[in-house]
Amino acid sequence: MAAVVSVEGLRKRYRRRDPWAVDGVSFALEPGQAFGLLGPNGAGKSTVVKIIAGLLRPGEGKVQLFGSDPGDPGARKDLGFAPEDPDFPKFLRATEVLDYFASLLGLDEVERKRRIPETLAFAGLDKERRQIRQYSKGMKQRLGIAQAILGRPKLLILDEPTADLDPLGRRDVRALIDQLKASGVAVLLNSHLLSEVELVCDTVAILARGRVLKEGTMAEVVPEGRNLEDVFVELVQANSPQRDQLPSFIKDQDKS
Amino acid sequence: MNGAAAVTRYTLIELSRRRILLVFFIIGAVGIALLGIGLKVFSSAFSSVVVTGPNGTAPDPAKLQRAFELGFVNDLIGALGFFALLIAFGIGMTVIYHDLESGAAVSIFSKPVSRAAFTIGKVAAAIVAMIVIVGVLSLEARLLMLLFGTGGLGEALWIETVAQVANAITLMLLVMALSTWMNNIVAAIVAFVYNAVAGLVVGLHSQVQAGLLGDNQVLKVGLNIAYWLVPHPLLSDARRQIALAEFELFSSLGEGPRAGQGPTRDQVLAGIPGASGAGDIIWWVFAVCVFTGLAYYAVRRRQV
Repeated sequence: MAAVVSVEGLRKRYRRRDPWAVDGVSFALEPGQAFGLLGPNGAGKSTVVKIIAGLLRPGEGKVQLFGSDPGDPGARKDLGFAPEDPDFPKFLRATEVLDYFASLLGLDEVERKRRIPETLAFAGLDKERRQIRQYSKGMKQRLGIAQAILGRPKLLILDEPTADLDPLGRRDVRALIDQLKASGVAVLLNSHLLSEVELVCDTVAILARGRVLKEGTMAEVVPEGRNLEDVFVELVQANSPQRDQLPSFIKDQDKS
Repeated sequence: MNGAAAVTRYTLIELSRRRILLVFFIIGAVGIALLGIGLKVFSSAFSSVVVTGPNGTAPDPAKLQRAFELGFVNDLIGALGFFALLIAFGIGMTVIYHDLESGAAVSIFSKPVSRAAFTIGKVAAAIVAMIVIVGVLSLEARLLMLLFGTGGLGEALWIETVAQVANAITLMLLVMALSTWMNNIVAAIVAFVYNAVAGLVVGLHSQVQAGLLGDNQVLKVGLNIAYWLVPHPLLSDARRQIALAEFELFSSLGEGPRAGQGPTRDQVLAGIPGASGAGDIIWWVFAVCVFTGLAYYAVRRRQV
Protein backbone atom coordinates (compact mmCIF):
# COMPACT_ATOMS: atom_id res chain seq x y z
CA MET A 1 0.00 0.00 0.00
CA ALA A 2 1.41 3.41 -0.99
CA ALA A 3 2.26 5.66 1.93
CA VAL A 4 0.14 8.77 2.37
CA VAL A 5 3.07 10.52 3.99
CA SER A 6 6.66 9.47 4.09
CA VAL A 7 9.28 11.34 6.08
CA GLU A 8 12.92 10.32 5.78
CA GLY A 9 15.80 11.78 7.74
CA LEU A 10 13.99 15.11 8.17
CA ARG A 11 16.03 17.92 9.68
CA LYS A 12 15.00 21.51 10.13
CA ARG A 13 16.31 24.55 11.90
CA TYR A 14 14.93 28.06 11.66
CA ARG A 15 18.22 29.95 11.60
CA ARG A 16 21.71 28.83 10.72
CA ARG A 17 23.00 29.19 14.29
CA ASP A 18 19.93 27.66 15.95
CA PRO A 19 19.94 24.06 17.16
CA TRP A 20 18.00 21.61 15.01
CA ALA A 21 14.28 21.89 15.78
CA VAL A 22 13.80 18.56 14.04
CA ASP A 23 16.76 16.22 13.81
CA GLY A 24 16.59 13.08 11.72
CA VAL A 25 12.91 12.21 12.00
CA SER A 26 11.61 9.36 9.83
CA PHE A 27 8.22 7.72 9.66
CA ALA A 28 5.54 6.72 7.19
CA LEU A 29 1.77 6.81 7.38
CA GLU A 30 -0.57 4.55 5.47
CA PRO A 31 -4.28 4.90 4.64
CA GLY A 32 -6.57 4.15 7.59
CA GLN A 33 -3.72 4.51 10.07
CA ALA A 34 -3.80 6.89 13.03
CA PHE A 35 -0.34 8.07 13.98
CA GLY A 36 0.31 9.96 17.22
CA LEU A 37 3.19 12.40 17.38
CA LEU A 38 4.01 13.04 21.03
CA GLY A 39 6.54 15.14 22.82
CA PRO A 40 7.06 17.90 25.37
CA ASN A 41 6.82 21.58 24.43
CA GLY A 42 9.44 22.51 21.85
CA ALA A 43 10.01 18.90 20.80
CA GLY A 44 9.49 19.76 17.13
CA LYS A 45 6.05 18.18 16.62
CA SER A 46 4.41 21.26 15.07
CA THR A 47 7.45 21.83 12.87
CA VAL A 48 7.10 18.29 11.48
CA VAL A 49 3.40 18.66 10.71
CA LYS A 50 3.89 22.12 9.17
CA ILE A 51 6.54 20.71 6.85
CA ILE A 52 4.15 17.92 5.83
CA ALA A 53 1.43 20.56 5.19
CA GLY A 54 3.79 22.54 2.93
CA LEU A 55 3.94 25.52 5.29
CA LEU A 56 7.62 25.17 6.14
CA ARG A 57 10.48 24.08 3.94
CA PRO A 58 12.52 21.10 5.18
CA GLY A 59 16.19 21.75 5.86
CA GLU A 60 17.44 18.27 5.00
CA GLY A 61 15.82 14.93 4.27
CA LYS A 62 12.85 13.98 2.16
CA VAL A 63 9.16 14.51 2.78
CA GLN A 64 6.50 13.23 0.42
CA LEU A 65 2.79 13.87 0.61
CA PHE A 66 0.79 11.52 -1.63
CA GLY A 67 4.04 10.89 -3.49
CA SER A 68 4.74 14.57 -4.20
CA ASP A 69 6.52 17.50 -2.64
CA PRO A 70 4.18 19.14 -0.07
CA GLY A 71 5.16 22.54 -1.52
CA ASP A 72 3.30 21.58 -4.70
CA PRO A 73 -0.33 22.81 -4.33
CA GLY A 74 -1.63 19.70 -6.11
CA ALA A 75 -0.16 17.49 -3.38
CA ARG A 76 -2.30 19.25 -0.77
CA LYS A 77 -5.58 18.54 -2.57
CA ASP A 78 -6.40 15.61 -0.28
CA LEU A 79 -4.93 17.11 2.87
CA GLY A 80 -6.95 18.43 5.79
CA PHE A 81 -4.94 20.40 8.30
CA ALA A 82 -6.28 21.71 11.59
CA PRO A 83 -3.48 23.90 12.97
CA GLU A 84 -2.69 24.52 16.61
CA ASP A 85 -4.26 27.81 17.71
CA PRO A 86 -6.04 28.35 14.38
CA ASP A 87 -6.97 31.74 13.01
CA PHE A 88 -8.93 32.98 10.01
CA PRO A 89 -9.65 36.23 8.16
CA LYS A 90 -11.19 38.05 11.09
CA PHE A 91 -13.91 40.03 9.32
CA LEU A 92 -15.51 36.94 7.75
CA ARG A 93 -18.23 34.74 9.22
CA ALA A 94 -17.87 30.97 9.66
CA THR A 95 -20.00 30.23 6.57
CA GLU A 96 -17.88 32.60 4.50
CA VAL A 97 -14.64 31.08 5.77
CA LEU A 98 -15.81 27.62 4.77
CA ASP A 99 -17.03 28.88 1.40
CA TYR A 100 -13.67 30.59 0.86
CA PHE A 101 -11.77 27.40 1.70
CA ALA A 102 -14.19 25.26 -0.35
CA SER A 103 -13.36 27.50 -3.35
CA LEU A 104 -9.64 26.98 -2.70
CA LEU A 105 -10.30 23.24 -2.59
CA GLY A 106 -12.05 23.49 -5.95
CA LEU A 107 -15.46 22.27 -4.70
CA ASP A 108 -18.33 23.13 -7.01
CA GLU A 109 -21.46 25.06 -6.01
CA VAL A 110 -23.56 21.92 -5.39
CA GLU A 111 -20.95 20.33 -3.14
CA ARG A 112 -20.43 23.59 -1.28
CA LYS A 113 -24.13 23.94 -0.58
CA ARG A 114 -24.26 20.38 0.70
CA ARG A 115 -21.10 20.26 2.74
CA ILE A 116 -20.89 23.67 4.38
CA PRO A 117 -24.09 23.54 6.48
CA GLU A 118 -23.36 19.96 7.54
CA THR A 119 -19.78 20.80 8.49
CA LEU A 120 -20.92 23.84 10.45
CA ALA A 121 -23.52 21.75 12.24
CA PHE A 122 -20.85 19.20 13.13
CA ALA A 123 -18.69 21.99 14.55
CA GLY A 124 -21.64 23.45 16.45
CA LEU A 125 -21.32 26.73 14.59
CA ASP A 126 -24.40 26.51 12.36
CA LYS A 127 -26.29 29.15 14.34
CA GLU A 128 -23.30 31.46 14.65
CA ARG A 129 -23.64 34.75 12.77
CA ARG A 130 -20.79 36.77 14.30
CA GLN A 131 -17.51 37.57 12.59
CA ILE A 132 -14.42 35.50 13.45
CA ARG A 133 -12.87 38.39 15.42
CA GLN A 134 -15.62 37.86 18.02
CA TYR A 135 -14.95 34.13 18.39
CA SER A 136 -13.46 32.49 21.47
CA LYS A 137 -10.41 30.25 21.13
CA GLY A 138 -12.61 27.17 21.43
CA MET A 139 -14.88 28.35 18.62
CA LYS A 140 -11.88 29.00 16.39
CA GLN A 141 -10.60 25.53 17.19
CA ARG A 142 -13.95 24.04 16.16
CA LEU A 143 -13.83 25.99 12.92
CA GLY A 144 -10.25 24.85 12.43
CA ILE A 145 -11.38 21.23 12.56
CA ALA A 146 -14.41 21.99 10.36
CA GLN A 147 -12.30 23.50 7.57
CA ALA A 148 -9.87 20.59 7.80
CA ILE A 149 -12.56 17.98 7.07
CA LEU A 150 -14.45 20.08 4.50
CA GLY A 151 -12.53 18.69 1.52
CA ARG A 152 -13.11 15.05 2.65
CA PRO A 153 -9.34 14.57 3.00
CA LYS A 154 -7.37 11.36 2.66
CA LEU A 155 -4.95 12.65 5.28
CA LEU A 156 -6.11 14.62 8.28
CA ILE A 157 -3.47 16.37 10.36
CA LEU A 158 -4.69 17.50 13.76
CA ASP A 159 -2.23 19.67 15.67
CA GLU A 160 -3.36 19.84 19.31
CA PRO A 161 -6.99 19.60 18.16
CA THR A 162 -8.58 19.44 21.57
CA ALA A 163 -6.44 21.94 23.49
CA ASP A 164 -9.20 24.56 23.71
CA LEU A 165 -12.22 22.28 23.48
CA ASP A 166 -14.67 21.38 26.21
CA PRO A 167 -15.22 17.69 27.09
CA LEU A 168 -18.11 17.41 24.61
CA GLY A 169 -15.95 18.81 21.83
CA ARG A 170 -13.19 16.35 22.70
CA ARG A 171 -15.60 13.47 22.51
CA ASP A 172 -16.78 14.68 19.07
CA VAL A 173 -13.20 14.84 17.82
CA ARG A 174 -12.51 11.31 19.06
CA ALA A 175 -15.64 10.05 17.30
CA LEU A 176 -14.57 11.91 14.14
CA ILE A 177 -11.13 10.30 14.16
CA ASP A 178 -12.64 6.82 14.66
CA GLN A 179 -15.08 7.39 11.80
CA LEU A 180 -12.38 8.70 9.45
CA LYS A 181 -10.02 5.84 10.28
CA ALA A 182 -12.75 3.34 9.53
CA SER A 183 -13.29 4.92 6.12
CA GLY A 184 -9.59 4.65 5.23
CA VAL A 185 -8.46 8.18 6.07
CA ALA A 186 -5.00 8.48 7.56
CA VAL A 187 -4.84 10.63 10.70
CA LEU A 188 -1.76 12.33 12.09
CA LEU A 189 -2.48 13.46 15.61
CA ASN A 190 -0.23 15.79 17.47
CA SER A 191 -1.31 16.07 21.10
CA HIS A 192 -0.27 16.48 24.70
CA LEU A 193 -3.30 14.57 25.89
CA LEU A 194 -1.77 11.14 26.14
CA SER A 195 -4.92 9.40 27.25
CA GLU A 196 -6.59 10.63 24.09
CA VAL A 197 -3.71 9.46 21.90
CA GLU A 198 -3.81 6.07 23.60
CA LEU A 199 -7.49 5.79 22.74
CA VAL A 200 -7.32 6.63 19.04
CA CYS A 201 -3.82 5.99 17.68
CA ASP A 202 -2.44 2.73 16.30
CA THR A 203 1.14 3.93 16.09
CA VAL A 204 3.05 6.58 18.02
CA ALA A 205 6.38 8.35 17.92
CA ILE A 206 7.73 10.15 20.98
CA LEU A 207 9.91 13.15 20.18
CA ALA A 208 12.16 15.24 22.40
CA ARG A 209 14.48 18.02 21.27
CA GLY A 210 13.75 17.20 17.65
CA ARG A 211 14.65 13.51 17.81
CA VAL A 212 12.49 10.41 17.85
CA LEU A 213 13.04 8.64 21.17
CA LYS A 214 10.72 5.74 20.54
CA GLU A 215 8.42 4.73 17.73
CA GLY A 216 6.15 1.79 17.07
CA THR A 217 2.68 0.40 17.51
CA MET A 218 0.96 1.19 20.76
CA ALA A 219 1.71 -2.34 22.00
CA GLU A 220 5.40 -1.95 21.15
CA VAL A 221 5.75 1.43 22.85
CA VAL A 222 3.61 0.74 25.92
CA PRO A 223 4.50 -2.54 27.64
CA GLU A 224 1.81 -4.63 29.30
CA GLY A 225 0.71 -3.21 32.66
CA ARG A 226 1.96 0.32 32.00
CA ASN A 227 0.33 3.33 30.39
CA LEU A 228 1.50 5.78 27.74
CA GLU A 229 1.95 8.61 30.22
CA ASP A 230 4.46 6.61 32.34
CA VAL A 231 6.45 5.65 29.25
CA PHE A 232 6.38 9.22 27.95
CA VAL A 233 7.53 10.81 31.22
CA GLU A 234 10.26 8.24 31.69
CA LEU A 235 11.61 8.68 28.16
CA VAL A 236 11.43 12.46 28.11
CA GLN A 237 12.99 12.89 31.55
CA ALA A 238 15.84 10.57 30.63
CA ASN A 239 16.56 12.71 27.55
CA SER A 240 16.09 16.18 29.01
CA PRO A 241 18.37 18.29 31.18
CA GLN A 242 17.43 18.11 34.86
CA ARG A 243 14.94 20.83 35.78
CA ASP A 244 14.34 22.32 39.21
CA GLN A 245 10.98 21.15 40.37
CA LEU A 246 9.85 24.42 41.94
CA PRO A 247 11.11 28.03 41.94
CA SER A 248 13.05 28.90 45.12
CA PHE A 249 10.57 31.60 46.21
CA ILE A 250 7.80 29.01 46.26
CA LYS A 251 9.97 26.57 48.23
CA ASP A 252 10.85 29.33 50.75
CA GLN A 253 7.20 30.13 51.23
CA ASP A 254 6.60 26.46 51.97
CA LYS A 255 9.23 26.48 54.79
CA SER A 256 7.86 29.60 56.48
CA MET B 1 -6.98 30.79 -11.29
CA ASN B 2 -9.95 29.69 -9.16
CA GLY B 3 -7.79 30.12 -6.09
CA ALA B 4 -6.85 33.69 -7.00
CA ALA B 5 -10.51 34.53 -7.70
CA ALA B 6 -11.57 33.15 -4.30
CA VAL B 7 -8.82 35.12 -2.56
CA THR B 8 -9.93 38.29 -4.39
CA ARG B 9 -13.61 37.76 -3.57
CA TYR B 10 -13.16 37.18 0.14
CA THR B 11 -10.48 39.84 0.49
CA LEU B 12 -12.95 42.34 -0.97
CA ILE B 13 -15.60 41.22 1.53
CA GLU B 14 -13.07 41.68 4.32
CA LEU B 15 -12.02 45.11 3.05
CA SER B 16 -15.63 46.22 2.87
CA ARG B 17 -15.95 45.46 6.60
CA ARG B 18 -12.77 47.13 7.75
CA ARG B 19 -13.62 50.14 9.86
CA ILE B 20 -10.51 52.09 8.97
CA LEU B 21 -11.42 52.11 5.27
CA LEU B 22 -15.01 52.97 6.07
CA VAL B 23 -13.83 55.90 8.22
CA PHE B 24 -11.46 57.14 5.48
CA PHE B 25 -14.24 56.83 2.91
CA ILE B 26 -16.77 58.71 5.06
CA ILE B 27 -14.25 61.44 5.87
CA GLY B 28 -13.45 61.70 2.15
CA ALA B 29 -17.10 61.84 1.10
CA VAL B 30 -18.04 64.37 3.78
CA GLY B 31 -14.87 66.39 3.15
CA ILE B 32 -15.54 66.68 -0.57
CA ALA B 33 -19.20 67.57 0.03
CA LEU B 34 -18.22 70.22 2.59
CA LEU B 35 -15.61 71.61 0.23
CA GLY B 36 -18.19 72.02 -2.53
CA ILE B 37 -20.89 73.43 -0.31
CA GLY B 38 -18.44 75.67 1.57
CA LEU B 39 -17.08 77.16 -1.65
CA LYS B 40 -20.59 77.72 -2.95
CA VAL B 41 -21.65 79.49 0.24
CA PHE B 42 -18.42 81.51 0.29
CA SER B 43 -18.71 82.52 -3.37
CA SER B 44 -22.34 83.61 -2.93
CA ALA B 45 -21.46 85.67 0.14
CA PHE B 46 -18.35 87.13 -1.52
CA SER B 47 -20.24 88.08 -4.69
CA SER B 48 -22.75 90.07 -2.68
CA VAL B 49 -20.04 91.83 -0.64
CA VAL B 50 -17.72 92.87 -3.49
CA VAL B 51 -19.14 95.88 -5.17
CA THR B 52 -16.07 97.28 -6.91
CA GLY B 53 -13.18 95.75 -8.78
CA PRO B 54 -9.50 96.85 -8.81
CA ASN B 55 -10.20 99.76 -11.16
CA GLY B 56 -13.23 101.03 -9.33
CA THR B 57 -15.55 98.98 -11.52
CA ALA B 58 -17.74 96.13 -10.45
CA PRO B 59 -16.27 92.77 -11.60
CA ASP B 60 -18.19 90.79 -14.14
CA PRO B 61 -20.29 88.28 -12.06
CA ALA B 62 -19.80 85.61 -14.73
CA LYS B 63 -16.01 85.95 -14.52
CA LEU B 64 -16.14 85.94 -10.74
CA GLN B 65 -18.23 82.77 -10.85
CA ARG B 66 -15.73 81.16 -13.22
CA ALA B 67 -12.85 82.09 -10.91
CA PHE B 68 -14.64 80.30 -8.06
CA GLU B 69 -15.35 77.30 -10.25
CA LEU B 70 -11.70 76.99 -11.21
CA GLY B 71 -10.70 77.25 -7.58
CA PHE B 72 -13.27 74.62 -6.71
CA VAL B 73 -12.00 72.16 -9.35
CA ASN B 74 -8.42 72.77 -8.21
CA ASP B 75 -9.33 72.07 -4.58
CA LEU B 76 -11.34 68.99 -5.56
CA ILE B 77 -8.35 67.54 -7.37
CA GLY B 78 -6.20 68.15 -4.29
CA ALA B 79 -8.81 66.62 -1.96
CA LEU B 80 -9.26 63.53 -4.15
CA GLY B 81 -5.51 62.99 -4.29
CA PHE B 82 -5.22 63.29 -0.52
CA PHE B 83 -8.02 60.81 0.21
CA ALA B 84 -6.72 58.39 -2.45
CA LEU B 85 -3.39 58.38 -0.59
CA LEU B 86 -5.09 57.77 2.77
CA ILE B 87 -7.01 54.86 1.30
CA ALA B 88 -3.84 53.51 -0.33
CA PHE B 89 -2.22 53.35 3.11
CA GLY B 90 -5.37 51.83 4.67
CA ILE B 91 -5.55 49.01 2.13
CA GLY B 92 -1.81 48.46 1.68
CA MET B 93 -1.16 48.12 5.41
CA THR B 94 -3.80 45.46 6.00
CA VAL B 95 -4.53 43.43 2.91
CA ILE B 96 -1.73 40.83 3.13
CA TYR B 97 -0.14 41.71 6.45
CA HIS B 98 -3.06 40.64 8.65
CA ASP B 99 -3.38 37.23 7.01
CA LEU B 100 0.33 36.57 7.42
CA GLU B 101 0.51 37.84 10.99
CA SER B 102 -2.77 36.50 12.39
CA GLY B 103 -2.17 32.89 11.43
CA ALA B 104 -4.97 32.87 8.84
CA ALA B 105 -2.24 32.15 6.27
CA VAL B 106 -1.58 28.79 7.96
CA SER B 107 -5.07 27.55 7.10
CA ILE B 108 -5.02 29.15 3.65
CA PHE B 109 -1.59 27.90 2.57
CA SER B 110 -2.37 24.33 3.63
CA LYS B 111 -5.07 24.32 0.93
CA PRO B 112 -4.21 23.52 -2.69
CA VAL B 113 -3.56 27.14 -3.60
CA SER B 114 -0.21 28.42 -4.81
CA ARG B 115 1.36 31.43 -3.18
CA ALA B 116 1.42 33.12 -6.58
CA ALA B 117 -2.38 32.75 -6.83
CA PHE B 118 -2.72 34.08 -3.26
CA THR B 119 -0.59 37.15 -4.07
CA ILE B 120 -2.38 37.81 -7.37
CA GLY B 121 -5.75 37.50 -5.61
CA LYS B 122 -4.71 39.95 -2.91
CA VAL B 123 -3.27 42.48 -5.36
CA ALA B 124 -6.37 42.26 -7.56
CA ALA B 125 -8.66 42.80 -4.55
CA ALA B 126 -6.62 45.79 -3.39
CA ILE B 127 -6.70 47.39 -6.84
CA VAL B 128 -10.44 46.80 -7.27
CA ALA B 129 -11.13 48.25 -3.81
CA MET B 130 -9.01 51.30 -4.59
CA ILE B 131 -10.73 51.90 -7.94
CA VAL B 132 -14.20 51.54 -6.40
CA ILE B 133 -13.55 53.80 -3.41
CA VAL B 134 -11.78 56.57 -5.33
CA GLY B 135 -14.26 56.13 -8.18
CA VAL B 136 -17.20 56.77 -5.84
CA LEU B 137 -15.46 59.82 -4.35
CA SER B 138 -14.73 61.07 -7.84
CA LEU B 139 -18.36 60.54 -8.85
CA GLU B 140 -19.40 62.62 -5.86
CA ALA B 141 -16.96 65.34 -6.92
CA ARG B 142 -18.36 65.21 -10.44
CA LEU B 143 -21.93 65.56 -9.11
CA LEU B 144 -20.89 68.59 -7.08
CA MET B 145 -19.33 70.06 -10.20
CA LEU B 146 -22.57 69.55 -12.07
CA LEU B 147 -24.38 71.40 -9.31
CA PHE B 148 -21.90 74.21 -8.87
CA GLY B 149 -20.19 74.41 -12.26
CA THR B 150 -17.25 72.60 -13.82
CA GLY B 151 -15.28 75.60 -14.99
CA GLY B 152 -15.26 73.78 -18.34
CA LEU B 153 -12.88 71.20 -16.87
CA GLY B 154 -15.17 68.21 -16.36
CA GLU B 155 -13.17 66.02 -18.72
CA ALA B 156 -9.88 67.01 -17.11
CA LEU B 157 -11.13 65.90 -13.71
CA TRP B 158 -11.86 62.38 -14.97
CA ILE B 159 -8.39 62.03 -16.45
CA GLU B 160 -6.87 63.44 -13.28
CA THR B 161 -8.86 60.88 -11.26
CA VAL B 162 -7.42 58.06 -13.36
CA ALA B 163 -3.90 59.41 -12.77
CA GLN B 164 -4.56 59.72 -9.04
CA VAL B 165 -5.90 56.17 -8.82
CA ALA B 166 -2.80 54.96 -10.70
CA ASN B 167 -0.53 56.85 -8.26
CA ALA B 168 -2.44 55.57 -5.25
CA ILE B 169 -2.13 52.00 -6.60
CA THR B 170 1.66 52.34 -6.84
CA LEU B 171 1.88 53.61 -3.28
CA MET B 172 -0.56 50.96 -2.02
CA LEU B 173 1.47 48.18 -3.65
CA LEU B 174 4.65 49.61 -2.17
CA VAL B 175 3.11 49.58 1.33
CA MET B 176 1.74 46.08 0.71
CA ALA B 177 5.08 44.77 -0.55
CA LEU B 178 6.98 46.34 2.35
CA SER B 179 4.46 45.02 4.90
CA THR B 180 5.24 41.46 3.80
CA TRP B 181 8.85 42.07 4.87
CA MET B 182 8.36 44.24 7.96
CA ASN B 183 5.82 45.55 10.45
CA ASN B 184 2.99 47.33 8.62
CA ILE B 185 3.40 50.62 10.50
CA VAL B 186 7.11 50.74 9.67
CA ALA B 187 6.18 49.87 6.08
CA ALA B 188 3.74 52.80 5.95
CA ILE B 189 6.37 55.20 7.34
CA VAL B 190 8.97 54.02 4.80
CA ALA B 191 6.43 54.37 1.95
CA PHE B 192 5.40 57.82 3.19
CA VAL B 193 9.01 59.04 3.18
CA TYR B 194 9.56 57.45 -0.23
CA ASN B 195 6.44 59.16 -1.59
CA ALA B 196 7.60 62.53 -0.28
CA VAL B 197 11.03 62.06 -1.85
CA ALA B 198 9.43 61.01 -5.15
CA GLY B 199 7.18 64.10 -5.07
CA LEU B 200 10.18 66.33 -4.42
CA VAL B 201 12.18 64.77 -7.25
CA VAL B 202 9.28 65.19 -9.67
CA GLY B 203 8.76 68.81 -8.62
CA LEU B 204 12.47 69.68 -8.98
CA HIS B 205 12.69 67.80 -12.28
CA SER B 206 9.80 69.83 -13.64
CA GLN B 207 11.43 73.10 -12.48
CA VAL B 208 14.73 72.14 -14.08
CA GLN B 209 13.02 71.18 -17.34
CA ALA B 210 11.33 74.58 -17.39
CA GLY B 211 14.69 76.29 -16.81
CA LEU B 212 13.51 77.79 -13.53
CA LEU B 213 16.53 76.51 -11.60
CA GLY B 214 19.14 77.94 -13.92
CA ASP B 215 21.25 76.11 -16.45
CA ASN B 216 23.37 73.91 -14.20
CA GLN B 217 24.08 70.78 -16.28
CA VAL B 218 25.11 68.66 -13.28
CA LEU B 219 21.81 69.44 -11.55
CA LYS B 220 19.91 68.73 -14.74
CA VAL B 221 21.56 65.35 -15.31
CA GLY B 222 21.31 64.43 -11.62
CA LEU B 223 17.61 65.22 -11.44
CA ASN B 224 16.97 63.46 -14.72
CA ILE B 225 18.59 60.31 -13.35
CA ALA B 226 16.69 60.63 -10.06
CA TYR B 227 13.43 61.17 -11.96
CA TRP B 228 13.83 57.88 -13.82
CA LEU B 229 14.95 56.02 -10.71
CA VAL B 230 11.92 56.72 -8.54
CA PRO B 231 8.46 55.51 -9.57
CA HIS B 232 7.16 59.00 -10.14
CA PRO B 233 3.50 59.95 -10.06
CA LEU B 234 1.50 60.04 -13.26
CA LEU B 235 0.04 63.43 -14.12
CA SER B 236 -2.83 64.63 -16.24
CA ASP B 237 -3.06 67.96 -17.99
CA ALA B 238 -5.65 69.22 -15.49
CA ARG B 239 -3.33 71.47 -13.48
CA ARG B 240 -2.02 73.15 -16.64
CA GLN B 241 -5.56 73.59 -17.93
CA ILE B 242 -6.62 75.20 -14.66
CA ALA B 243 -3.56 77.48 -14.64
CA LEU B 244 -4.21 78.44 -18.25
CA ALA B 245 -7.89 79.13 -17.60
CA GLU B 246 -6.99 81.26 -14.57
CA PHE B 247 -4.36 83.12 -16.57
CA GLU B 248 -6.84 83.91 -19.34
CA LEU B 249 -9.48 84.94 -16.83
CA PHE B 250 -7.19 87.29 -14.91
CA SER B 251 -5.60 88.66 -18.12
CA SER B 252 -9.03 89.75 -19.29
CA LEU B 253 -9.59 91.48 -15.95
CA GLY B 254 -6.31 93.40 -16.12
CA GLU B 255 -7.33 96.49 -17.99
CA GLY B 256 -5.84 99.16 -15.71
CA PRO B 257 -2.46 100.88 -15.46
CA ARG B 258 -0.74 97.58 -14.40
CA ALA B 259 -2.00 95.74 -17.46
CA GLY B 260 0.76 93.91 -19.34
CA GLN B 261 3.12 93.82 -16.32
CA GLY B 262 2.26 90.29 -15.13
CA PRO B 263 3.88 87.01 -16.19
CA THR B 264 3.34 85.78 -19.75
CA ARG B 265 1.32 82.68 -20.61
CA ASP B 266 4.46 80.63 -21.16
CA GLN B 267 5.96 81.77 -17.86
CA VAL B 268 2.81 80.68 -16.02
CA LEU B 269 2.77 77.25 -17.64
CA ALA B 270 6.52 76.64 -17.46
CA GLY B 271 6.61 75.60 -13.81
CA ILE B 272 3.60 73.29 -14.05
CA PRO B 273 4.36 69.74 -15.15
CA GLY B 274 2.38 68.57 -18.18
CA ALA B 275 0.61 65.27 -18.74
CA SER B 276 2.71 62.13 -18.38
CA GLY B 277 3.99 60.59 -21.59
CA ALA B 278 4.19 56.98 -22.77
CA GLY B 279 7.56 56.58 -21.06
CA ASP B 280 6.06 57.57 -17.70
CA ILE B 281 3.18 55.13 -18.16
CA ILE B 282 5.54 52.29 -19.05
CA TRP B 283 7.62 53.16 -16.00
CA TRP B 284 4.43 53.06 -13.87
CA VAL B 285 3.55 49.59 -15.22
CA PHE B 286 7.10 48.47 -14.46
CA ALA B 287 6.86 49.82 -10.88
CA VAL B 288 3.52 48.02 -10.36
CA CYS B 289 5.08 44.76 -11.60
CA VAL B 290 8.15 45.21 -9.40
CA PHE B 291 6.11 45.89 -6.24
CA THR B 292 3.80 42.94 -6.97
CA GLY B 293 6.87 40.78 -7.58
CA LEU B 294 8.39 41.92 -4.28
CA ALA B 295 5.19 41.01 -2.44
CA TYR B 296 5.08 37.60 -4.15
CA TYR B 297 8.73 36.91 -3.35
CA ALA B 298 8.12 37.67 0.33
CA VAL B 299 4.92 35.58 0.44
CA ARG B 300 6.66 32.66 -1.29
CA ARG B 301 9.57 32.73 1.14
CA ARG B 302 7.36 33.18 4.16
CA GLN B 303 7.30 30.19 6.51
CA VAL B 304 4.10 30.32 8.52
